[in-house]
Amino acid sequence: MITRILTALGVLAGAHFAQAASVTVFAAASLYSALDAIEVEFEAATGIDLVVSFAGSSALARQIQQGAPADIFISASTDWMDQLQQEDLLIPETRRDLVMNALVFIGHDRDAPSVVLDSRLDLVALVGQSRLAMALVDAVPAGIYGKAALGSLGLWDAIEPRVAQADNVRAALRLVASGEASHGIVYATDVQSEPRVRQLAVFPHDAHPPIVYPVAAIKQRDRASQDQFLRFLSSPQARDALARQGFIVNF
Amino acid sequence: MVSMALGPNEWAAILLSLQVAVVATVSSIPIAVLVAYALARWSFPGRALLNGLVHLPLVLPPVVTGYLLLLSMGTQGPIGGLLAEIGIVFAFRWTGAALAAAVMAFPLMVRAIRLQIESIDPQYEQAAATLGASPRWVFWTVSFPLMLPGIVVGSILAFAKAMGEFGATITFVSNIPGQTQTIPSAIYAFLQVPGKEDAAMALVMISVTISMLALLFSELIARKVGRQQGGL
Repeated sequence: MITRILTALGVLAGAHFAQAASVTVFAAASLYSALDAIEVEFEAATGIDLVVSFAGSSALARQIQQGAPADIFISASTDWMDQLQQEDLLIPETRRDLVMNALVFIGHDRDAPSVVLDSRLDLVALVGQSRLAMALVDAVPAGIYGKAALGSLGLWDAIEPRVAQADNVRAALRLVASGEASHGIVYATDVQSEPRVRQLAVFPHDAHPPIVYPVAAIKQRDRASQDQFLRFLSSPQARDALARQGFIVNF
Repeated sequence: MVSMALGPNEWAAILLSLQVAVVATVSSIPIAVLVAYALARWSFPGRALLNGLVHLPLVLPPVVTGYLLLLSMGTQGPIGGLLAEIGIVFAFRWTGAALAAAVMAFPLMVRAIRLQIESIDPQYEQAAATLGASPRWVFWTVSFPLMLPGIVVGSILAFAKAMGEFGATITFVSNIPGQTQTIPSAIYAFLQVPGKEDAAMALVMISVTISMLALLFSELIARKVGRQQGGL
């Protein structure tokens, strides 16, 4: 009996999804504000319902591996996109790099002077008894890039014991915003949303691997709506929305 | 095979988890007994409020509990700021991880002890008092031994919860290897990276083993306490 009810529900649900044209996007959490704006414009332009699921790229990639109903994946790291490609879950010719991001050094003190990020910077003295907030330095992209950048500037070994690793980049931003950590390393796009922190410096682009956000369509989904969304992502409207949030769209 | 997948940071995480869970549990017991006793036996203004407050960590998302701890007990917070002046700092320390685990586990401990207290017939305590025992004497010779099974069960629940606590911990004290990185934080970090599933699984196995041993141990204690009371 229960199986029959479940089957009936499944059929109903299936019928519902088949009726309403919709495209489901799994997107890295750092794209939240930008995709919010894109969603409104995309729906107005095409009449297709855009459903976006935001989470860390790793969580999303693992869900897609387990067969989650995603049409499009926008990852904050190439690692996870590569992983899905290796497992033959992507349509390879749809993959491209959507935007780039920059890494910034931020402080809680609104009056703190800007700094120059090079090997002469005494980061340990700057942070003092407080903490340098970063995303998990071996696991979360923002943390991995940050560790690489500090490493290439020769600053990592000295500061490592004072680094507080948060579970994602927004949590690291929050630690600096609340003043629990005096300084932090986050994406340039994160600073726009938080008035309680001050950007002290931008990391040189060559100090860390390029921070690119690849996008690709997932196999065995409705190609027509996938293509429509991917085309919209290249439109001037979408590129404007991304640029407004601080993403680098021309590279 | 398990030991090969684990580096020094992971062993530190295992030891730290044990330390955090033990300290969180043991230091909660006196407060939990007091609160449970107050909720079960006394009527006072604000009783419903206290009850609600104690249960709040069960209702709130752990990340929110962690954030509230950060706001109140952090070095910039109203309570944490005062404590920092006398040299007690929780933020980004293992003590903060223990505090987060204790807060998350507290409702479980209080509930177990309170149920036990409510099952004790107040006439035992009254009888002891009419026979001339002071309130303190009544508590330690009558009430406390009768509460003991509830305290044991509550402590085990709290220990288990403290071992697995993740959301509040990482939000309040973040993830600093050797200082605040517990087993759940280490597992979470491994799961963020492609191909680190084996290392995560090794930690999961260790975590399961510790919990199983703790449960077996608690069964033994519970049985022993039960036997003693049977002979009372």
